[in-house]
Amino acid sequence: MTPAILLLCCASQVCLVTGQLLTKHAMNAVNLSPVPWAKVSGRFALGIMALTLWFFLWVGLLQKKDLSYIYPFEGISPVLIVAGATAFLKEKPRPRAWLGIGLIAAGIMLVSAS
Amino acid sequence: MTNPAPSPSPTVPGWLNSYGVVWLGAVCVTVAEIFLKRGAMATAINHGFLPGFGTSALASGWTWVGILVYIASFGCWLQALRRMPLHLAFSLMSVVQVLVPLGSWWFLGETIGLYRWCGIALVLAGIVVIAAPAMRAEEQL
Repeated sequence: MTPAILLLCCASQVCLVTGQLLTKHAMNAVNLSPVPWAKVSGRFALGIMALTLWFFLWVGLLQKKDLSYIYPFEGISPVLIVAGATAFLKEKPRPRAWLGIGLIAAGIMLVSAS
Repeated sequence: MTNPAPSPSPTVPGWLNSYGVVWLGAVCVTVAEIFLKRGAMATAINHGFLPGFGTSALASGWTWVGILVYIASFGCWLQALRRMPLHLAFSLMSVVQVLVPLGSWWFLGETIGLYRWCGIALVLAGIVVIAAPAMRAEEQL
């Protein structure tokens, strides 16, 4: 893996995680009554922007590498998402969830090394 | 218990509960990725207007079908986000780490070695560890 590909992978992951956190933040507000539509639409629009950036970075990577080679790098995102959801959305994953995420991350590293 | 169990919606069929929309979304992502890869392969020799971004792939019909299926998966994803914590939904969505390599192997002819199969098995084990107790909790509601 070249440094440029690694950089593109990291950038795509940052965009993906940011987009997911913003989208979840928006959907949390949808469950409120009354729904604060201004906040929801603002967060949602920012989330969509981040996910759109992720999408084009991702398609750019697909043009350069095999899907099964590049896809595992998406796999670090569960760890980043859990960290982000804990820090920014105040979610509290159970210990069993951390164990599962550890297994997923280990599996992804094994796939990446193959 | 730190997180509430995902609540079923009375307005949707039983199979389309919190977990059903995640699994349906995962299948859509897998199908979308395969279409996107076909579109990307068909346009790999072209250069888009932004270096590093795959904008030239928009010239392929495969890419547009992939985008449509991705939008469908996003609809499933939003429904899942309304009903369960992000960390749980996203971890369950990791099943695409299993489905995409299988789809790449089956539909695109990409090869999967022993280590990759072992990694896929570990990912699957992690998903089962996370999903099994939460799914049992939902069934008991």
